[in-house]
Amino acid sequence: MTLERKPVSSRRDFFARTSDGLLGAALLQLLTSDVHADRPPKAASEKAIGSDSSNRTSNYDLSPKPGHHKPTATSVIQLFMNGGPSQMDLFDPKPALDKLDGKPYPGSIEEIGNTNVSDIGVMMGGRYPIQRHGESGMWMADTLPHTSKMVDEICMINSMWTDHPNHDNALYKIHSGRLFMGYPTLGAWTAYGLGSENQNLPAYVVLGDPLGLPKNGTRNWTSGFLPPVYQGTPFRPSGSPILNLRKQYEQPSEVSLTASEMLKQLDEKHRSRRPHQGMLDARIESYALAARMQLTANEALDLNLESAETLRLYGVGEPHTDSYAKRCLMARRLVERGVRFVQIFLEEQPWDSHVDLASNHRAICQRTDKPVAALLQDLKRSGLLDNTLVIWGGEFGRTPTSQRSGDIYTGRDHNMQAFSTWMAGGGVKGGMSYGKTDDFGHKVIENPVSVHDFHATILHMLGLHHQELFFLRSGLEERLTGVKIPSVVHDILS
Amino acid sequence: MLFRFIVLQFICCLPFAGAFGETSDVLFETHIKPVFQAKCGKCHRENERKGGLDLSSMKGLHAGGETGDELLTAVLEDNALWHQIEQGEMPPEGEPALREKERRLIRSWILAGCPSKTKIENTHELTQHDVLPILLLRCNACHGPQLQQGELDLRTLAGMLRGGKSGPALVSGDPDSSLMIQRIETQACPPSESLLKFFVRRPSTAEVKTLRDWIAAGAPEGEVEPDVATTSNDPLVSPNDRAHWAFQPPSWPDTGNSIDDFVGQKLTEAGLTWSMPADRHTLIRRVYLDLLGMPPELDELERWASSKDRNWYSRMIDHVLSSPRYGERWGRYWLDLAGYADSEGGISADPLRPVAWKYRDYVIEAFNEDKPYDEFLIEQLAGDELLGQSGSKTVTDDTIEKLVATGFLRMGIDETGSRTMNFVPERLKVVADAISVVSSGLMGLTMECARCHSHKYDPIPQRDYYRLKAVFQGALDEHDWSSFKQRKLNLATETHQAQIARFNPPLEKQQKRLVARQKELEAEIRLNLLRHHHPDQSETDNQTTLRALRKADNTRTLIEKKLVERLQKAELIPDSMQPTNVLKDRTEAEQVRKDLHRLRQRMIPPKTIRALWDQGRPSPTYVLRRGEHDKPGTLVGPGVPSVLTDGKTPFEVTPVKAASHLGAYTSTGRRLAFAKWLTSPDHPLTARVMVNRIFAKHFGTGLASDPGNFGRQAEPPSHPQLLDWLALKFIHSGWSIKAMHRLMMNSRTYQQSSRVTAKHHQIDATNRFLARMPLQRLDAEALRDSLLFVSGRMSLKSGGIPDAVSVSRNGMVSVYPSEENNHAATHADNGIASIQTASGKSDSREAATIAKSEIDACWRRSIYLQYRRTEIATMMDTFDYPQMGPNCLDRSVSTVSPQALMMLNDKHVHTLSLSFANRIINMIKNRGLNDSNRTRVDLVYRMALSRPADPQEIEFGDDSLRKLTNSWHGDETKALATYCHTIFNTAAFLYVD
Repeated sequence: MTLERKPVSSRRDFFARTSDGLLGAALLQLLTSDVHADRPPKAASEKAIGSDSSNRTSNYDLSPKPGHHKPTATSVIQLFMNGGPSQMDLFDPKPALDKLDGKPYPGSIEEIGNTNVSDIGVMMGGRYPIQRHGESGMWMADTLPHTSKMVDEICMINSMWTDHPNHDNALYKIHSGRLFMGYPTLGAWTAYGLGSENQNLPAYVVLGDPLGLPKNGTRNWTSGFLPPVYQGTPFRPSGSPILNLRKQYEQPSEVSLTASEMLKQLDEKHRSRRPHQGMLDARIESYALAARMQLTANEALDLNLESAETLRLYGVGEPHTDSYAKRCLMARRLVERGVRFVQIFLEEQPWDSHVDLASNHRAICQRTDKPVAALLQDLKRSGLLDNTLVIWGGEFGRTPTSQRSGDIYTGRDHNMQAFSTWMAGGGVKGGMSYGKTDDFGHKVIENPVSVHDFHATILHMLGLHHQELFFLRSGLEERLTGVKIPSVVHDILS
Repeated sequence: MLFRFIVLQFICCLPFAGAFGETSDVLFETHIKPVFQAKCGKCHRENERKGGLDLSSMKGLHAGGETGDELLTAVLEDNALWHQIEQGEMPPEGEPALREKERRLIRSWILAGCPSKTKIENTHELTQHDVLPILLLRCNACHGPQLQQGELDLRTLAGMLRGGKSGPALVSGDPDSSLMIQRIETQACPPSESLLKFFVRRPSTAEVKTLRDWIAAGAPEGEVEPDVATTSNDPLVSPNDRAHWAFQPPSWPDTGNSIDDFVGQKLTEAGLTWSMPADRHTLIRRVYLDLLGMPPELDELERWASSKDRNWYSRMIDHVLSSPRYGERWGRYWLDLAGYADSEGGISADPLRPVAWKYRDYVIEAFNEDKPYDEFLIEQLAGDELLGQSGSKTVTDDTIEKLVATGFLRMGIDETGSRTMNFVPERLKVVADAISVVSSGLMGLTMECARCHSHKYDPIPQRDYYRLKAVFQGALDEHDWSSFKQRKLNLATETHQAQIARFNPPLEKQQKRLVARQKELEAEIRLNLLRHHHPDQSETDNQTTLRALRKADNTRTLIEKKLVERLQKAELIPDSMQPTNVLKDRTEAEQVRKDLHRLRQRMIPPKTIRALWDQGRPSPTYVLRRGEHDKPGTLVGPGVPSVLTDGKTPFEVTPVKAASHLGAYTSTGRRLAFAKWLTSPDHPLTARVMVNRIFAKHFGTGLASDPGNFGRQAEPPSHPQLLDWLALKFIHSGWSIKAMHRLMMNSRTYQQSSRVTAKHHQIDATNRFLARMPLQRLDAEALRDSLLFVSGRMSLKSGGIPDAVSVSRNGMVSVYPSEENNHAATHADNGIASIQTASGKSDSREAATIAKSEIDACWRRSIYLQYRRTEIATMMDTFDYPQMGPNCLDRSVSTVSPQALMMLNDKHVHTLSLSFANRIINMIKNRGLNDSNRTRVDLVYRMALSRPADPQEIEFGDDSLRKLTNSWHGDETKALATYCHTIFNTAAFLYVD
């Protein structure tokens, strides 16, 4: 383990420091339009977590902070599968359900868990051939031919459940632990708790689908009541990755140079007359970081620097996989550079198959399967998987019954009572299947994992304790995992 | 041993173990009571029952606490009492712990089945209050206040007995023959198809059993009075609880009669002294930005800077306070507190609240006219009930104002307009948000915790939360919920109605035309995109694509999805590769959007008011155990937190006649009574909380550092006497907020310099002693408003429908300009017509159009931006504009690089600096000044930084301008624009000394 880890951290260090070191300084000199670029970044100050919002002098920042205990994961890549993938079709086969295919649900259909019973159809068996894979013999459908080769790295949780059958609320829940709008997401809490290892990039990056925003839009990466500095920063997949990273107007470079020199002098003078004003130092530092970011952000996302073999592995350039492959590869490049939390979203909610589930799920698998498997493989071979946690899953699962839409019954409705999610790397047990659902994949019957448990477990891997990670708001200790104390699922940790 | 084990097992199985007390060695009276008395009695005895729990008698144990948990079960895992002891939760920290021997004793007593000498009847007599909460939750939607299907009303026993078309709902003593039981058990009721329509879920088995048992027992109607404050001592809150400073009314301090007296005393104690007074220009900038959120105009700056009047400073404050811009600044702080938003939030669609702005304008107006704070609160909490008191029938401006004011209680996130999210728990969340705004915002109390259990730190029993909920029950009733439609009133004065009739019809016609054209263009653009990029695709498929777009994406077939994706990809292709007809249509669509926006702003606002009013028929309010909607506990009546009273004074409520515009009924009067209690001069918190809030805005930090929490967990105030003195001054000034500004800003404390000395840094780094003024960063509004104002791009038009934002494809949310080119009167010096396009030469058609419209445009103050929860303008968001969840009592300040990127690279900021440069040049011309770099630099300083440039700065500026002019190949205007842009980026512009 130790042997494998060392090169990883030095690799991260290398990228994290590049722009502060000789190489970075030299490059910056060439670009020159950057303001205050030659100021060295402030030494990372160590701050305790559990900050007090009433202490107005505290300046919230992204400097690295020690966790509560030794982490097994230092970064997270969340492959968010918006819409709710179907567990019984993809991961959790149900022979009993297959047998009843086309027959009525044996029981009160109101139990199905959704509010509207009028469009509940009949039992719908698994739509794909499904087999055991790898040494572990984990189940996976034939729509995921690549991911199924990586099952021995994967810990499959079949016993997830949530509290609301609507997308909006279930999305709030899975991201922020609360059913309602306005609470900080897991990524925001992570950035708040741990800061970032790379001050030249945001701590929490969101890679959106060029086709559009996911359901619930930017609220999927909000910082809620935490200071906005902890919110996710969406990187654009093409062109300049961050808003306003480049000048949005034309100006000769000598002009920029003169202007930045002027600004530097004016600010230095302003500051020299105002000693002991920490925020003025912080502000000057933020201009320096902005300058460094112009360099690092573009470099971090530049896939031309990857080998042809790697591009092929992910499926870059192939019609179906190109878009998702690029984002998976960017995610690897970002965690390699010390970004704490990366989320990849799909447009709107492609997994939400109320209609034509078989073909819709197959199409979305085709878009994502190969890139996802390649990400695991690539992280594995570079050693990054040891301390990068990869999470795959959506906001809920799907019902064992079909759903009427118009006059066809080809899709499944939402199921909050059971769904499957998998994790890999970062200290989870590979090749493990955890938890059980009933004969129809409808309800959890063994080892249930609530969303709070799920969050507590992820925080645990990151070295954070869910009770100690809090934010004081008007006298209330606000936590990701709420008031009732959740349990870390220790069984899935190696 | 073996024998004893068997005995214990035996006893456990018996329902009334007490009867066998003699045979057991551990008895409550002899063994357990003394332990409870010694270790728990301080908080859990008959006269003091924290958490509603009395451990001094078996009766108390049987009754249990507020959670309703079982305390006497012999199953250890289920025994809540044992759980608390075992987890070390009780006795709490700081109190003597249980000894090991005592723990063992309690354990074996519990295992023995809690034997006692006195026999306790374990039968709870069912009453209508065991049944009504179930009926409210499961039947009320069809057989309650809004509907009486089958002519059946199940709100009272009388109603049940009277029954409906099919006969009485129940047969006393015979559940099997009772219609309601039959209907429920066959699932005929609630009907399957109505579950989602009326947001109802079926009763649980336990609930049905309760209904049956109650009917079997003869449907007894107990004489249960709601739990309200009485004239006897409150057992849940002790005198010791009331001793906390914030729960005692403020009193005049013995010494000191000014802010400076109290600050001075503390300074001396800390070994500090006053800082030097700030210089005159610093004071001018400080006062303008503080009160108006914008720097002074040049003429005003000169006026105060050169005034020979000894009292120039206090005259300036009076002058600034009389500006209508003041309400736009300080009203915004109140909107933060109220959680003002122009959208409902909650669901993805984030529907707009089209007339929420009327409340925003009400607030601005109230601040501008210095409406007494007590009146301001009463109107917002109970404007509807005030109208009822007056009894007037005509609709006057006053009627409208008071109804609009109640919008205060409707500001929270509200998803109950959704087709699927209007169940009781979701409604309760809306109610909880309103209570949270009222308690933390107006009273500095964190009552949110008490929704589920008694407050851990503050003496707020769960009961008090629900008494407060009962205050709002008449208007915010989770069992009688007003839909989005029902909560609108269409009410207007005669003048307003006449205006609508006169001006709007032709505009509405235009609007219709534009909307139609917009739709047409949208379809045309899409079709042309497809025709151009997918020439092989059939026209049928093109039409299918358009139809598919009208469906929710999760109900599209795979073919439809693929077609839509094809279109989306075509839309993303850059302009340079798009056909001319698409570009042309896009330009027109943009213009139509703009025209529509302006048209809507020109229309006379609709009559609609978003209000809250009492319906005169509140459902009973029950404590909800653990805060769960289906675990009703004690029936409570309206009341206020006991700790803020002497605990022996009933809360007097007088029902009032409802305003005639609302209907002929009696309003509960509960909110009016609450508002009057809240604004009574001896209220311990109302005045303190407000003056502290004002103080915090002026001095960076409040005397009490957390504006939303004055409870026992909060840091004590830095100057408790000053806080009391200010609170009393506030009340004695007639609750005048402007009087408070004068008092604070005229103090020596406020006029100090903000320089931090080594001594300050060493003794008082956080400035709690106020030996200096803090250096403060402009907040999002002040920054944006200052940029617009300085560059002459601000429209000072106030009020009305908010300015829309637009979201670009890269996620940038920018603000739609308000008006074009019609601000020349306000800014004579602009000379806008002479401005060239900002982006210089640009061959992109899209860029050119935007640049042209930007250069002509004006924007209104940030308070008039549409606050849609999902579309916060990027510039505001970057500078810590808060999210409202449900409100914001204290904004955070971050210093991050996206702020630098925004100021340096954003096109809008750059365009504004160009406007600023042109404004300077025109000013020099119009005023006949000697045009030179030096004059320009000095003017830039005066306008942007509200001070003249010093000789060194002039020198440096002159030098820089020369260099810039060179780099711009002799273009002086562009050089000056770059200079202005740089000044906008300086710390001097962003921070206030």
